[in-house]
Amino acid sequence: MIDMITPPVKPARPMQNADLRPTLLFVDDEERILRSLRMLFAANFRVLVTTDGHEALEILKREKVHALISDQRMPLMSGVDLLRQARDIAPDTMRLLLTGYSDIEAIIGSINDGEVFRYINKPWNADEIRAIVGEAANIAMSLGQMLAKPLEQSAKEIRGILLVDDSAEIANNLREYIDDSFPGAFHLEWANTLNDAMAFLETRKLSVIISDINVGRDDMTPFIKTLKHFHPHIVTIVLTNFRDTSLLVELINQGQIHRFLPKPMRKSMVLRGIQSGMVLADEIRLRPAAKQRHKVETPKNIPDAGIISRIRGLFRSASKS
Amino acid sequence: MENIAELSIAVEPLTSDITIADVGDLFLQPAYDRFLSLPVVRDGEPLGVISRYHVQRILMGRYGRELQGAKAVKHFMNNSPLLVSVDRPVEEASHHITRNIAFPITEDFIITDGGNYHGVGFVINLLRGLEDKLITKNKSLAQSFSQLQASQSQLVQSEKMASLGQMVAGVAHEINTPLGYVHNNVEMARAAYDQLATLNEKYEQLISMLQSPDLDERAMQTQFSEIQEMREEFSNTFQHDEMRGLFSDTLYGLGQISDIVSNLKNFSRLDQAMVSNIDLNQCVDSTLVIANNLIKHKVEVIRDLGVLPKVRCAPSQINQVLLNLITNAVHAIEDRGRIMISTFSDGQFVHIIIRDSGKGIPAENLSKIFDPFFTTKPIGEGTGLGLSITFKIIRDHQGYIRVKSRVGKGTAFCVSLPIAEQP
Ligand SMILES: Nc1ncnc2c1ncn2[C@@H]1O[C@H](COP(=O)(O)OP(=O)(O)OP(=O)(O)O)[C@@H](O)[C@H]1O
Ligand SMILES: [Mg+2]
Repeated sequence: MIDMITPPVKPARPMQNADLRPTLLFVDDEERILRSLRMLFAANFRVLVTTDGHEALEILKREKVHALISDQRMPLMSGVDLLRQARDIAPDTMRLLLTGYSDIEAIIGSINDGEVFRYINKPWNADEIRAIVGEAANIAMSLGQMLAKPLEQSAKEIRGILLVDDSAEIANNLREYIDDSFPGAFHLEWANTLNDAMAFLETRKLSVIISDINVGRDDMTPFIKTLKHFHPHIVTIVLTNFRDTSLLVELINQGQIHRFLPKPMRKSMVLRGIQSGMVLADEIRLRPAAKQRHKVETPKNIPDAGIISRIRGLFRSASKS
Repeated sequence: MENIAELSIAVEPLTSDITIADVGDLFLQPAYDRFLSLPVVRDGEPLGVISRYHVQRILMGRYGRELQGAKAVKHFMNNSPLLVSVDRPVEEASHHITRNIAFPITEDFIITDGGNYHGVGFVINLLRGLEDKLITKNKSLAQSFSQLQASQSQLVQSEKMASLGQMVAGVAHEINTPLGYVHNNVEMARAAYDQLATLNEKYEQLISMLQSPDLDERAMQTQFSEIQEMREEFSNTFQHDEMRGLFSDTLYGLGQISDIVSNLKNFSRLDQAMVSNIDLNQCVDSTLVIANNLIKHKVEVIRDLGVLPKVRCAPSQINQVLLNLITNAVHAIEDRGRIMISTFSDGQFVHIIIRDSGKGIPAENLSKIFDPFFTTKPIGEGTGLGLSITFKIIRDHQGYIRVKSRVGKGTAFCVSLPIAEQP
């Protein structure tokens, strides 16, 4: 199916040596989308396209792809399915969704299963998509070499979790779950206001933050976004019954949240989330370059500049020490 | 009034040995004016009742007072009086009494407490109490009826909203896909045009150089190589066949978008009034476009549409019927399958059959599927209102709907609508 859409190969483009350009793989069930994207990117990238997710997985097995950009609604395999399997086959490939409409379940799936880097809406803006895809490909290129180094053994230390939620019941349950399943491994703190959360952030070493969207009267989204911007080594898990597609897209693109878990909290889900969050936090701590993979878009629509400067200040003091 | 205790009138009962003449005198006293009958009790146990009517008949007969007056009441009383326990609810008591009372009504009933005499109850009071109860009941019935009506119309509304939401989601994706490449293609065409325009400028400069009397060889050479370079860059980025494809794709995409939009308009005609002259095949087609997103990934649709006379109907409602049936059919198909839609007319009715190769409906459910809220789908996926609304719409159109199903094989729904009578 690739060949069908590939235009007749021209004599090597003189500007670049094809082997040095990053490789992009686009997957969409509409061939016209693929043709259009191929033209947009062909000048600077090696572009592969297919309408079939299975074919895409074969390509990922066969060769190095820097960024995989997929539609969500496709007949043979959904985008989230594809991203999930791509994560296993080619974990270094950056994963992006480019889709005209997703129901909320699909977006949640793209976070939890797809660990998606960016969610781009159709119709896209040419300059924007060039910038986003280019950034993803560059990150994959620059990490390509670094990830080859073996991972150093992590020093065993007790790692901090901060729960930001206004329900004491949730706090108690979570404490119970953690004591039950990982006795002594984690130190759990509980904040029930934005202010308390900031205080913990300033005084404790945290690996994972689990937060609701609304806590008391505080909207936590600016906090979550800004945090990832200035503290990329802290892994965020959102635990909420708030469901809104555009907010989720923001939390992906500007917050790079690691998991989105629904309330009522389910023990197995939250524990698995914590576990994979800890693995990620360790990876970022031991190989700081890896945090590039979770780089966020510059947060937009943040009304409260106070939060930003407070979190940024924190960042400065952390980097000095 | 909840139970019979509130009706109880404490009146001193008669002993069984009191004479009829004395009872007659009692009935004449003003304090006893209200009493149709008096109870006869011994040691707390109610033995019977004696009615004013009965006493009067005895005493007023010829020589009645002389012959019978000195006899004890126990010989004349009704010794199986109506007894009602004090804690009986009003409805129950009145049921018991109306079934057992003798007509014409000459006696009231005795109220007992643990089998012992408690008081007398007037039948008329019982009836009044019953009436009061009926009135309050009626009121609350009317109230819950109007609440029910309100919530039903809300439910219909929310079902509409839910299917609208689903539809919008599908249509958004359907439109955004062509919009995606159309938008991108136009941006690329603009970039190409910008390059071509600059190139054209360079050519014009070259021409004027060629035409100028003092031809500068070196400047011309530079100009020439600049043009050469730009041409190369242009053809590297934009190949001619690619460009041509880009334009035809763009036109195709625009065509698709306008198709979707015009079908959307057809589908959602908000004219609530009945509109005559509707070709139901058009309804089938525009509903299929709307449902395309749901269908296209798992279902093959086979259309077998006959030539149909026009039908008088509200097209937006018929579209909703079709969308409900098609949605159900898609949901019934677990992996991949087929939906066959056929239409035909028998001169009186137009029939639309929607047949799916889905999992079928078990016999025990067939009678329930048109009930509101009957659903076998998980919470959040089905409200169970689709078919009940479908049924209502078809009934409003004087049509009917039939269903046939075989578990594991599939289901067929047949919608039949009467053809507009010729004016
Ligand atoms: N084509 C079909 N094949 C199999 N079962 C069906 C079919 N159509 C309806 N049913 C059964 O009838 C039930 C009621 O259908 P109905 O359309 O009223 O509600 P629903 O589809 O469950 O929910 P809703 O339409 O409100 O989203 C369904 O849950 C399903 O069990
Ligand atoms: Mg239904």
